[in-house]
Amino acid sequence: MSYISPTKIDEALEVLSRGSGKIIAGGTDVYPSAQLGQHPDFYMDVTRIDGLKRISVSKDIVHFGSAVTWTDIINADLGSAFDALKATAREVGSVQIQNAATLAGNVCNASPAADGVPPLLALDASVELASRAQGSRLLPLAEFITGVRSTVLRRDEMVVGLQVPVPPSTMTSAFEKLGSRRYLVISICMTAVNLVLDQDNRITDARIAVGACSAVAQRLPALEASVIGQRPADVEIKPEFLAPLTPINDVRGAAAYRYDVVQEQCRRAIMQAASR
Amino acid sequence: MTIEINNRPYDLPDDARISLLDFMRERLEFFGSKKGCNQGACGACTVLVDGERILSCLALAAQYDGRSVTTIEGVANGDELHPLQALFVEHEGMQCGYCTPGQIMSGIALKSELERGAPSNVSSDLTVAPRLSRDEIKERLSGNLCRCGAHNGIIDAVAAYVGGEEQ
Repeated sequence: MSYISPTKIDEALEVLSRGSGKIIAGGTDVYPSAQLGQHPDFYMDVTRIDGLKRISVSKDIVHFGSAVTWTDIINADLGSAFDALKATAREVGSVQIQNAATLAGNVCNASPAADGVPPLLALDASVELASRAQGSRLLPLAEFITGVRSTVLRRDEMVVGLQVPVPPSTMTSAFEKLGSRRYLVISICMTAVNLVLDQDNRITDARIAVGACSAVAQRLPALEASVIGQRPADVEIKPEFLAPLTPINDVRGAAAYRYDVVQEQCRRAIMQAASR
Repeated sequence: MTIEINNRPYDLPDDARISLLDFMRERLEFFGSKKGCNQGACGACTVLVDGERILSCLALAAQYDGRSVTTIEGVANGDELHPLQALFVEHEGMQCGYCTPGQIMSGIALKSELERGAPSNVSSDLTVAPRLSRDEIKERLSGNLCRCGAHNGIIDAVAAYVGGEEQ
């Protein structure tokens, strides 16, 4: 079985048009999910493709190439709206995993407990896809991930990068994660909050996303709407605001526990984002 | 396709599915890097690639074509232990020894991360430089478990190595 490391996007798309391969970047989710007796036609490594290891900032867009690692994010100079994403980066796996694993890989792996998805949803991120047959397309992250370990990525298609519209300079953010310990565990529940406050300390913009409490991480539109015009300390988190969530009972926690945790995480993340 | 391990080149395996850890242990007989969990949850297989620590159990050997890997076998200078190896002996940073190669490789990488200016892992400010406190060291060694519970000695050894406070 072959291992192909193209250096140009065109070359990569040509490779993908040949058959049923597996795209690999850091590889940290690829190896553990391999099944005995099953193997792809080839592995295609995206980390040597020109430009994909870059984080670039233009007037309107912050672009994360699909080979950008968590360590790259920790070390990048990004605005305060990206603090939740940075906080996520330093708690994913362990330093050893952060050095290899990529943001795009976390999204493509589509685990319900993917730490990267809530902060990216709160940043209104989109996924940039490309294939030889159909060219490129841009999809909101919420449309890209369709279920547990499932995405709309076609067999001949790859993720080129993630795009975030440049957030307001006054936007701040925070990330809260619960696991049985901080590192090397699958998250029980995590919450990302992005906020803008006015001079009177009232919330004028809020984006709140929760992971590991539904098949795909969810924004909480009712909660977001309810906090507008409020001061962070006065925010009330009513159970009906959590309607998009469908937490399950599993070995890591009971559904009722997850509901409790989400409410506390929302409070903490809002207060923390407001203090930045 | 060749990979350099401890400054010597090796041909990569024909089968792209073999992990870096299995390649080293089963084909090259580098038994220093340990297979603890084989799923990225323990850190016993930690090696350096071009100076950065990764988990060799979560890597395919083929990913590191043309790159330079350092394992525990490559850190001593002949019979002279690497300074961190000597500190592990001095501070009794082990009991059974199974996690020790991974702990030492992580400790070596930790020092170079700090020297390269990595931001603190414990501060709520995400850009501030780290203080060399025990808390910072503990946090940065969290990817390496010791089931004997020798963590206190391990942290003492690494703190001495990076020049941090021993409290």
